[in-house]
Amino acid sequence: MKTILITGMDSLTGIYVAHALNAAAPSARLVGLGRGAADTLVEHVEMLSTPRSGYEFADLLKKERVNVVIHLDIAGEYQPVLNREQALQQNILGGMTLLGACVTAGVQRVVVQSSTLVYGASPSVPLFASEQQPLTRSRPSGLLYDYVEIETFIANFRNRHPSTDIVVLRCAGLVGAGVWSPLSHYLTQPLPLTLVGFQPRVQVLHIEDAAVAFALAATKEPVSQVFNVAAERVVTLSRAIALAGRQPAQVPEFFFDAARRLLPGRESMTVWHQDRDFLKYSCVADIQRARRELGWSPQHGIEDALHETAAYAPKGKRLQEKTQRRVI
Amino acid sequence: MSDSPPTGSPPAPPAGGASNRPQDSQELEIAVLNRPGYRRKEVSTTAHFSAGLLRLIAENLERMTPPQMARVMDILQQHDMNNFLDPSFWSGARKALEYQLREQLGLLQRRLLGTYEIDPYGMDQEMVEVVRPFLRFMYRTWWRVSVEGQEHLPATGRALLVSNHSGVIPWDGAMIATAVYEEHRESRIVRNLFLHWFSTLPFVGTTLSSLGGVPGLPDNATRLLEDDELVCTFPEGVKGVGKLFRDRYQLARFGRGGYVQTALRTGSPIVPVAVVGAEEIYPMLGNAESLARLFGMPYFPITPIFPWLGPVGAIPLPTQWSISFCTPIPTAEYGPESTDDPLVVFMLSERVRTSIQETVNARLAERRSVF
Repeated sequence: MKTILITGMDSLTGIYVAHALNAAAPSARLVGLGRGAADTLVEHVEMLSTPRSGYEFADLLKKERVNVVIHLDIAGEYQPVLNREQALQQNILGGMTLLGACVTAGVQRVVVQSSTLVYGASPSVPLFASEQQPLTRSRPSGLLYDYVEIETFIANFRNRHPSTDIVVLRCAGLVGAGVWSPLSHYLTQPLPLTLVGFQPRVQVLHIEDAAVAFALAATKEPVSQVFNVAAERVVTLSRAIALAGRQPAQVPEFFFDAARRLLPGRESMTVWHQDRDFLKYSCVADIQRARRELGWSPQHGIEDALHETAAYAPKGKRLQEKTQRRVI
Repeated sequence: MSDSPPTGSPPAPPAGGASNRPQDSQELEIAVLNRPGYRRKEVSTTAHFSAGLLRLIAENLERMTPPQMARVMDILQQHDMNNFLDPSFWSGARKALEYQLREQLGLLQRRLLGTYEIDPYGMDQEMVEVVRPFLRFMYRTWWRVSVEGQEHLPATGRALLVSNHSGVIPWDGAMIATAVYEEHRESRIVRNLFLHWFSTLPFVGTTLSSLGGVPGLPDNATRLLEDDELVCTFPEGVKGVGKLFRDRYQLARFGRGGYVQTALRTGSPIVPVAVVGAEEIYPMLGNAESLARLFGMPYFPITPIFPWLGPVGAIPLPTQWSISFCTPIPTAEYGPESTDDPLVVFMLSERVRTSIQETVNARLAERRSVF
């Protein structure tokens, strides 16, 4: 019997992934790790106590005879980050520790969450970035820096430990009913900043489609190791903001830095606030490989997904950071 | 001043949207074209120009609501639009165009805010339809483009158009696309590849993309061709557009042949295109390199009217153009594996360049005057 461990179970993503796994692999045993209280949030998921070190983690994996690990515990992905240093430690050092523990314990597959933004936004990035496109060469900030570091580490790590399958899912910004993500945080704030004269194309991913992709990556036998996962269509940034029920605040480029400083909630800045490149140029990923090899196909269109997000973030109120726990 | 009875049969009104236009403007245009002494080949420049202006006003009318149309007809009736020698004709045309532009500002504002639908590559179909009458005006009236060889373009399926580049600003790309839309029996859309540096400019990059342009990267071109689109590229690039006037019509270096590799990889036929007339629209006498560096532009053109006359210097000269589509060069026979064979790539690139240069020289020899 397969045992699948999901980290980051206190995120909505973890809950949806568990639900998708219940459907995709009903015979598998699901265990979860979370940073919140260790109460059962989803049926059929057994919550474990958080190990304190890498060795404890390896022992835990061996004891529970875990076959597959799905790593969703990325600080800043499902909650705003207050302490940047702590987030960096959790993401990069935590990710490295997790992979080391998985290899030591003989886990067969690790599925890691990443972001389509790692391709970077620049005029020389193709309109649809395929998985072979190299990672961004400009120095990214915040959460994006963590993603790029993790991916670079995994790329080298893979060569040295060929017995473990490490699958990376580069997800577009997550949206859906009540989903907090860096992208939905940006789209639903009262006056999202945009640059005058630029209309980049944006891509989103509905959380249910993301969950199905993770479930397939965990259970199927794909050939490739990296997949782009996103909804089919793209819209312009201003249209995305309009779909989320907000009006963009257009500022000229030279004024951008000053305008950024005036924003409330600066301490939990996401890449969409800081990195003006994403407000100028498109960063859109090609999803053909996930369709072909995982048999995955997005069910939610971008308009419906953003309308759902808007419904949970009525005008004048910020998107709630900790959504109510839901038992699905 | 009065309407003269038509001498002989009136020329047929242009095909396409003519059926939607109000009867009055059609009659106005036919009346202008049928002044005594007017025959198709002997049209005076002014008559041709005023007919073109009337057509532009009429085509814009197609997109307007009935009250707006009534207002425009009102303006036109207040002036003597039959006689283009009367200054009242010109003030009438100006007022009508200004009114139409003001009414379309709402549409433009929506565009500026960005809440429009795009296709996966960023093209805004509605914007393309709105700009079409203006491009048609430039095509038929301002530059009087004559086209030949449009049967060389496939009715369906992919093809890579390769053209010489000139004219400081890429008007030639717009005119090639207009030519294909107007003259090809299937009215196909051409996707132009523009230098990806233009995406760094506010407004320019967005406008180029929403009109169907795509940054000129190999991945983008390959993807478009695999979608069976017509793609137009200008291998001379900045070297072509930034040519000095004394070097006009001498094709610059065609580079490393990336466009040939894209065609080989996708098996698309290469259609060489020769554009004559675009070199003289902004005769570039010099290049102020220090100013170019200061503004971060690839070149800073010095022409007889720009930058001295400011924005007026940006109006292109109304030269006479011809666009020739040459015999296509099939690439399927070489197979996708020759994409990485430099010998095949350079051989094909040289063939394309020679074909364009010879056609340009032939058209230049036939040309009787620049304007």
